[in-house]
Amino acid sequence: MDRNLPEGEGPVHVPLGHIVANEKWRGSQLIQEMQGKIKLVFEDGLTSADFYLSSRSCILYITEADLVAGNSYRKRIVRVRNSGNLQGIVVVEKTQISEQYFAAIQKFTVLDLGMVLLPVANQMEASCLIVQLVQEQTKEPSKNPFLRKKRSMLSELSLVRTVQQIPGVGKVKAPLLLQKFPTIQRLSNASIQELEGVVGHTVAQQIHAFFSQPR
Amino acid sequence: SGTPCSNSPPHLAEAHTALRLPQAGKRACILVDSREITSGLEVISSLRTVHGLQVEVCPLNGCDYIVSNRMVVERRSQSEMLSNANKNKFIDQIQHLQSMFQRICVIVEKDREKAGDTSRIFRRTKCYDSLLTTLVGAGIRILFSSGQEETADLLKELSLVEQRKNVGIHVPAMLNSSKCETLQFYLSIPNISYITALNMCHQFSSVKKMANSSPEEISTYAQVNPQKAAEIYGYIHYIFDMQMLPNDLNQGRLKSDS
Repeated sequence: MDRNLPEGEGPVHVPLGHIVANEKWRGSQLIQEMQGKIKLVFEDGLTSADFYLSSRSCILYITEADLVAGNSYRKRIVRVRNSGNLQGIVVVEKTQISEQYFAAIQKFTVLDLGMVLLPVANQMEASCLIVQLVQEQTKEPSKNPFLRKKRSMLSELSLVRTVQQIPGVGKVKAPLLLQKFPTIQRLSNASIQELEGVVGHTVAQQIHAFFSQPR
Repeated sequence: SGTPCSNSPPHLAEAHTALRLPQAGKRACILVDSREITSGLEVISSLRTVHGLQVEVCPLNGCDYIVSNRMVVERRSQSEMLSNANKNKFIDQIQHLQSMFQRICVIVEKDREKAGDTSRIFRRTKCYDSLLTTLVGAGIRILFSSGQEETADLLKELSLVEQRKNVGIHVPAMLNSSKCETLQFYLSIPNISYITALNMCHQFSSVKKMANSSPEEISTYAQVNPQKAAEIYGYIHYIFDMQMLPNDLNQGRLKSDS
């Protein structure tokens, strides 16, 4: 593996569907919960992140004790954020004790740094969430309903609705106008005389005024 | 006059500031959906009284809060996110917002606790985790709030961040009657947000001017990205074909023709 960066923070190789965990988590409840659900690889010398979901995405785990102890966790978060093409997800233990510090870490992580923050109550919840994150990362992007391209509605119907918003134009006149002036732009440039070929004098004036009057 | 007012007595200087055009550091504006008056009354009053923001209640048609020219905020109670029953509705709603806005933020708000109510104990579900990770995967922001007051605080912070990025809301939400007609017209353009329609109302001198604008002009005046501007331009120039109209409408037309 390519390891030419000083702190051993080069790109971490993560096989698909695996998770690379910082050595310090070995034997923890979090790891025990994950075992059997996902393949784990332990690695030494990971200084900033606790888990790698892929070579481009990692998890920083902030414990209840970290939160209560002060703001030193911020340095770790900033280091991950500054590491270029690495997406950092901050998982934080939000308990009855640490709850009062949560608003501050949320503001710092999400609003100031623009990173992702997810609260958990304990290591058991964290393990479920991390497994879910790995599953999300391994499935195809098109399986994510928010990344799917939506099909567009037929524009004819929308056009009729748009033209109906012009004062004096209803269900009947809208398609008639569009038949003669087939785009909104053409309709907007129609003269009163041209419009009178389709609608009466009063409505023709109304339509013309709607488009050309300064608003 | 626009002269500096350092010599004026303090009360005059104050009046002067109030009349000046918006500048950096001015009050941020947030648009609130009228439905939020029933479900998020405390959010609205906190925004106004605690944070001193300009809050405009508008018929946003399902967008809870618009905090900038490009960002919408969806406020969801935690209990709604926990149950599988609401999952599809939630996904539909987010997809709907995606068609209109460049950026989306979801605020997950803790449910109000009633005295003696023990049924509301938070039990994390797989559905909840999967919704969160799906949102993360799509780059949608998530914030967690302990209640309506904190939600208001987060909304304020979001609008300030957006303002610093020069996408703050700078047009008045109040309109006279002829502008209202124009707004309805712009709102009927597919996948357009209320704030985009409002920007168009205020920035284009006439509807004709808008309809004859280049994509670049639309992007500048409507405050949308080039992709959205191209989409709007495409709609304005889309050639209507009567035969593509669904039958019931078309048939009605043919009958009235004969």
